[in-house]
Amino acid sequence: MKRLGVVCVLAALCACTEQPSVAPRVERFAQLPDWSGIWVADGLEPGIDGFSMARMPAFLVVNPEAPWNEATTAKLQAELAKNPGLQVAPAAGWGYPLMMDGAPPLQFLITPEETVIFNTYRDLRHVYTDGRAHPPDEDRWATTWGDSVGRWEGDTLVIDTVSVREPNKYFGVVAWLSDQAHYSERLRRVSADRIEGEMTIEDPATLTRTWVIKLAYKRATGWDRLIHDSYANDRTGFDGQFYTIEPPTDPEPTQ
Amino acid sequence: MLLTPRGSRDAMQATGQKKGDSMYRAACLLVAATALIAGSALAHHSPVMFDQTKQVTLTGTVREFQWTNPHAYIQLLVKNEQGEEQEWNLEMGASLYLYNLGWRPSSVKPGDTLTVTIAPLRKGGNGGLVMKAVGADGKQIGRSAGAPQ
Repeated sequence: MKRLGVVCVLAALCACTEQPSVAPRVERFAQLPDWSGIWVADGLEPGIDGFSMARMPAFLVVNPEAPWNEATTAKLQAELAKNPGLQVAPAAGWGYPLMMDGAPPLQFLITPEETVIFNTYRDLRHVYTDGRAHPPDEDRWATTWGDSVGRWEGDTLVIDTVSVREPNKYFGVVAWLSDQAHYSERLRRVSADRIEGEMTIEDPATLTRTWVIKLAYKRATGWDRLIHDSYANDRTGFDGQFYTIEPPTDPEPTQ
Repeated sequence: MLLTPRGSRDAMQATGQKKGDSMYRAACLLVAATALIAGSALAHHSPVMFDQTKQVTLTGTVREFQWTNPHAYIQLLVKNEQGEEQEWNLEMGASLYLYNLGWRPSSVKPGDTLTVTIAPLRKGGNGGLVMKAVGADGKQIGRSAGAPQ
């Protein structure tokens, strides 16, 4: 009996020091929707030329539905007069919000703590769904992809994004929004092969009213994996008027 | 289909904006700029360098297929009217976009006979943007965007 008592005490001690069960997290995983796979913005699948698409990306500054205020329109006119292509230094990606309605395919990696959204150009968003808030204003600074927090309302992912550096500074033709713009997204998988939602943008500095953009993604059929690569063979030159195709740098002579 | 600011003028008129209104003029200016700059958002440079109102068909022999980012390139040897072989620099989208359309690095090999439809360089010269490629068997390589797999 004495020995049995010792065993019971030891068993109780072991139980007290045991790591918490992983079951609750697994259960939380199981409650999350399945958005696995590769998704492409509906209508933005480019042809082999890399340019042609069925529609324009919504976040271009020239989108006629963008409610630019007079000051922004005037500023844009002045810029177009001296820089008709609105060119800035070549971007290494698409940036936010353009990545959410662009040609590069997207993947949504959903965990209980965060949803990670990324594309083939390494545009990357961490959408924290663990209940945290944005950092306080004084501890936050604008970045190309901003700061995102979110929550699940049933099977709808609700995202709140702030502190996005003026998107056109990264990609010249993109919406001329200020660092103060506030972005809200609602995304939901509406069928096996389709995610739909909308983004609303509030920016009193540049917009006359809230700008609402519909978002839609269809499951990619051609991509069976996301492919990443650097700009290892950029043959684009500039002759002072137009871009050019520079000769290949291979050893064989060219005309 | 190439990017165009379709419906934009109608959309402005539908919202009550009229000619003479300063915002309308500003909006028209933006719309006029759309054709120029819209394509910039689709790649790392603007397509204005290519004359997309023209289509040129070339048949030649592949010297090299560069399966690369930010663009793939075909170096195509084409005989001119004098029968002299000239090399063309033909630009395509990034390899990752070609992959989606069924292209692979092995889709085109040196020595292959290839017929391409291109938008030529606006300033002339032996270069252009590949819109379609057909192999020696007469079949289009890959699929068109939007077409089923």
